[in-house]
Amino acid sequence: MKKIFLILMLLAIIPVLLPAGESYLEVTAPGNRQLQLAVALPVPLSGGTNTGIAKDISDIFRFDMTLAGPFTVMATTPTDPKSGIRPGDFSFDSWKRAGADLLIKSGYTLSGSTLTIECRLYDVTRGQELAAKRYSGSITDMRRIAHTFSDEIMQVTTGERGPFTGKIAFVSKRTGNKEVYLMDYDGYNVQRLTRNGSINLNPDFSPSGKELIYTSYKKRNPDLYRRDIFSGIEARISAHRGINVTAAYAPDGNRIALAMSKDGNSEIYIINKDGRQLARLTNNSAIDVSPAWSPDGRQIAFVSDRLGKPQVFVMNADGSGVRRLTTSGAYNVSPRWSPKGDRIVYCRQMGGFQIFAINPDGSGDTQLTSQGSNEHPRWSPDGRYITFSSQRSGREAIYVMRADGSGQVMVSRGKGADSHPVWSPRW
Amino acid sequence: MRKGMLRCVMVLCCGVIFASGCAKEELVKKEEPVAAPVAPAPKPAQPVAPREEVLPTQTVKEAPVPVKEEAVQEPAPISALEKIYFDFDSFTLSQASRDTLAKDAEILLKKLSGKIQIEGHCDERGSDEYNLALGEKRAKSAMNYLVTLGVPAERLSVISYGKEKPADPGHDEAAWAKNRRDEFVIVK
Repeated sequence: MKKIFLILMLLAIIPVLLPAGESYLEVTAPGNRQLQLAVALPVPLSGGTNTGIAKDISDIFRFDMTLAGPFTVMATTPTDPKSGIRPGDFSFDSWKRAGADLLIKSGYTLSGSTLTIECRLYDVTRGQELAAKRYSGSITDMRRIAHTFSDEIMQVTTGERGPFTGKIAFVSKRTGNKEVYLMDYDGYNVQRLTRNGSINLNPDFSPSGKELIYTSYKKRNPDLYRRDIFSGIEARISAHRGINVTAAYAPDGNRIALAMSKDGNSEIYIINKDGRQLARLTNNSAIDVSPAWSPDGRQIAFVSDRLGKPQVFVMNADGSGVRRLTTSGAYNVSPRWSPKGDRIVYCRQMGGFQIFAINPDGSGDTQLTSQGSNEHPRWSPDGRYITFSSQRSGREAIYVMRADGSGQVMVSRGKGADSHPVWSPRW
Repeated sequence: MRKGMLRCVMVLCCGVIFASGCAKEELVKKEEPVAAPVAPAPKPAQPVAPREEVLPTQTVKEAPVPVKEEAVQEPAPISALEKIYFDFDSFTLSQASRDTLAKDAEILLKKLSGKIQIEGHCDERGSDEYNLALGEKRAKSAMNYLVTLGVPAERLSVISYGKEKPADPGHDEAAWAKNRRDEFVIVK
């Protein structure tokens, strides 16, 4: 109990004391007791009850906070005779008795198509409010509003905002061919981006989140395109004969690493945003693909079969200092460096594929998935979560999980194969 | 990067819940003193200090606009030219593949004119990213061999489809064997 008390005490103070970004709740540390989090049913603040809105808001909080990591979302909530959401307008007693450590209270007002949601996070034990926000928007922004408060809860409890307002870009075959789509991280609000009827592959966000790059066969060659997401303006930026594939935006937002075969076989190059070649990083007769930048932009992990079978290697961003990263497993591909720089996720072929994470020095190699075949792991912008595609349900779909492999849950609901998810930066 | 959005949503955002004065009044404080010795006089209400919440809802409205795009017409394989097949994760030409290519070269030199594109394909087991490079190596293996058999290099080009266009949608060895292949199409 003392420990909990201490944690809760810290909850109240630390956000003030800690510099932004520092965390005191170790989300992935084993042995930490999870905080019991209750989600009160959202109440109408004025106007009539709207059970649809109330349920949606509540479900969004529950989904986000279940994935979050530090919390156990309580299955049932006690009946609260007083339904107010402001401090003093309700009693903590019933929540305390139910065992809640934290409580989300929210209320809504729907006026015409304008939706206002007021959200409050309470430390039940201390009877203290930790966060309070009011959001207004169109009724169509409801999901975004609720996710925004989820991000805020992460800020208040861990010192770093959550990634739950983020989007996931992905490739879907729901129309019969592979096109690029965009959806909320939890699978809602799916929007189709490309409609060229060809094959579109490997999307990646620019660090600003406003652009996507991807490979498309629309001109009968796997060329690299850059698209402004909100205007739809598209430019073909790398169209050399042969492949222009597996492109990854550098953290500086100005450069792109990709694999091209214009000089004979697949090698890693760096180009600028407009396609001008800046550097060639590899030079051998083996396959080199799938570059992945370290967050400081100084190193690049990539896949090469120079030793026989595909393995993950790391080199400096000028091509020097190549070293092998993965030493277990016969076939390792698709590396992605975590935003904090501490881990690299990749896929190992073992029957199907499984997702692993390894330290950049080659230690700490850990298997994260085991059910079905799982590919294309990509980090959330805060590095606490990973999105990936899995065929475990019989249909390839997009999933999310925590960085330690726990909490795996399907988020894409379309018919037809969904793959290559990539979590957007914060907008 | 939020500035653009900020401009758009100023109208929508409101966000300040506490006016600065009322925060303390609304606090239910019982065990609050425990916090006091730790921090140099932090205001208890500080974590929830009134802040303007900029809600980037406008991004939702800036719905991605699809560019007008024409559906792509894929050329049909030339039935006269036989496909060739490969072992798993290999781009080496087997003797059977060399024999087939010899026949294909004969047709290319005597019966067909025009340019040919060689499509390299892979089965579904490898990684799709790696297979894009592998498929190209398969296509180039065939191209190089056809050139040694006298087919002019300028009549030949390659394209890799990785594992994106399986010939057989099955998930067993029989299907995989059919999918690790090169096909030949006429291009302009």
